[in-house]
Amino acid sequence: MKIVLKCFSQVKYALNTDEMMIELEDGQTASDLEKIIRKKTGEKLKGIAVQIAVNKEYSDGSTVLHNGDEVALIPPVQGG
Amino acid sequence: MVVTEIISGPLSSFSSDDSRTNEGAELVFNGRVRDKEDGEKISALDYEYYEGMADSELQNLAESTVRKFKINDLFCYHRIGSVPVGEASLHVAIWSKHRRESIDAMDYFIKELKKSVPIWKWAILSSGERVPSKCNHN
Repeated sequence: MKIVLKCFSQVKYALNTDEMMIELEDGQTASDLEKIIRKKTGEKLKGIAVQIAVNKEYSDGSTVLHNGDEVALIPPVQGG
Repeated sequence: MVVTEIISGPLSSFSSDDSRTNEGAELVFNGRVRDKEDGEKISALDYEYYEGMADSELQNLAESTVRKFKINDLFCYHRIGSVPVGEASLHVAIWSKHRRESIDAMDYFIKELKKSVPIWKWAILSSGERVPSKCNHN
């Protein structure tokens, strides 16, 4: 299945892109996706906690993803 | 009543309202861009947001703040895009019968905004380089 990963702040900086397509296997979760991205970025996201949003809503890491889902790894937010 | 909006471009202020005869407190907060970021001179902060999520999170937070505190209205504008040093990035106005409710609600609203609304700062350094802000005040 294909997942759209939206990238912001440190995640965008680490991956050098706003958005990317990730291929996952059926049954994989939001946490699995986070692990893949952390592996892909090496040390760049080390020590940076992220929340996960699936289809623009905060979600648990155990959320099973589906084809076409939009996922964002949300680094610490900084509004204000 | 709740009004929230994410705006690209300078913020206009909510008008002071002399018709609110039942509300003794009208509390206004403006968050402005400081000239230093992590000890380094900057020319602006560039606010990035998650379109479609930041808007709904901001609205939900404003609605839950009005339910949680004895306040009547909460209005909030948050600016995105490049905000030069000295200009406002956040404008909030709250009305309540007494001041304590407004002050407590304002503190809560801004603290929660900094935890849940997906908006981020990029520092524009004097050199012109654009880097993710390290600022995480809550």
